[in-house]
Amino acid sequence: MTPKTAAQAGTFESSDVLFLIEPLPEKSGRKIELFSTVLHQYGESFNKIVTEMLDDYALTDIHIIARDKGALEPTIKARLETAINRSLQNIQQV
Amino acid sequence: MNFEDTDFRQETIDLGNPFDVKLVKDFLASLDLVFDPSEVESTMIVYNLKGDLVGTGSHQGRILKYIAVATEYRDTTAFALIVTNLTGKLLKIHKHTFVFTRPENAVRFAGLGYTRIATAEPLFTVLEFGFESIRTYQAYLKTLAVPTHNNTVAAIVVNCNPFTNGHKYLIENAAAMNEVVYLFVVEEDRSAFPFSVRWKLIEAGTRHLKNVVMVKGGMYVVSGATFPSYFLKCEEVSTVMQKQAELDVTIFADYIVPVLGITRRYVGTEVYCAVTREYNQAMKKILPPKGVEVIELERKAVGSNTGLNPNYISASKVRQAIREDRLEDVLDFLPEVTRDFLLSDESAAIHAKIKQESSRH
Repeated sequence: MTPKTAAQAGTFESSDVLFLIEPLPEKSGRKIELFSTVLHQYGESFNKIVTEMLDDYALTDIHIIARDKGALEPTIKARLETAINRSLQNIQQV
Repeated sequence: MNFEDTDFRQETIDLGNPFDVKLVKDFLASLDLVFDPSEVESTMIVYNLKGDLVGTGSHQGRILKYIAVATEYRDTTAFALIVTNLTGKLLKIHKHTFVFTRPENAVRFAGLGYTRIATAEPLFTVLEFGFESIRTYQAYLKTLAVPTHNNTVAAIVVNCNPFTNGHKYLIENAAAMNEVVYLFVVEEDRSAFPFSVRWKLIEAGTRHLKNVVMVKGGMYVVSGATFPSYFLKCEEVSTVMQKQAELDVTIFADYIVPVLGITRRYVGTEVYCAVTREYNQAMKKILPPKGVEVIELERKAVGSNTGLNPNYISASKVRQAIREDRLEDVLDFLPEVTRDFLLSDESAAIHAKIKQESSRH
């Protein structure tokens, strides 16, 4: 699928993560910029969660910026999924 | 039982309502901040169910301003809440957001995920966040970089409001003495002549110089984000302005110089504008230690009929002349492209605009 617009989900608050998503031109690939307070401990698993979800949605050309403040896996998934759906315009922007 | 009172509500205040403005003003005054409602576009407040004001934040364009949280709520989520709310709102419109804060508070924004760009001790640190960053601008610069054989790579930053023979003289001189000249054109559209017009006139007026590369100034070269004072009236020289100038030059030295391999920066002597003079001072202080020579050329003058004071070419004199309907007085300040443009119907809107306002740049 192709994201239509730039979108965001999440907050800067502790135990949360903020995702920004931006469509990229075709064939530019995925560009993921992760900044996390627990990068050293959980960076790998964070990237795995993100990659899996992008695979699920078949998103190949996308720019993702993540600012994580120690979000748990369900939070990461929920925020990312919301951001993706907003950028696909599947749900109404609030 | 003690529990944390974190049931915060947020609201955008009505800046047209004096009671709302007073609320924020008094709150900020209690934290030693002076709130100027004319400097913001929108202001939000955070309060709890008891009606206590917990914090506030504002923005003007893509810059976050006046973000403050009451002392007793600093260990709550209020700060993150305000920054999230404002950032989220701005990123729907802009590609990125900026915040200026005191260097000792920069860590709070960095902790949320803002990235530090530069600091001018002891007043400001500027941080940014968003889809784009200074890295995006650096990538743009890389696409323009020209390989060189020797180390004579010059940079000039111009607003050219409008393009005069003075600018042309400076650019021609730099072009003659250097292998490449990167000509940064201030992109911020706050001048009488819009960016597209300034760019077009400069492009036409420097076409004969093959080693001049025109560069868009973006958000990082004398923009409203990095150097707001430049666009204000010039008369007052303040520490704030001086520090903004330092900030702008620091960004230039740290992020732009290395990408393009710049070794010299050219400026004309400043005889009229205090802000620009201050900016030149900041360059002389910051650039040489970072390996960039600052070359100040005597500003070009026309004739010598005004006695001891040479009649220096200046874009503000040109605008003054337009304002007073005596364009013919300054025609010899202008290269052919600008002259033709100003005498054509195309510039009617700009004439009208200049007559209305009195801004220095």
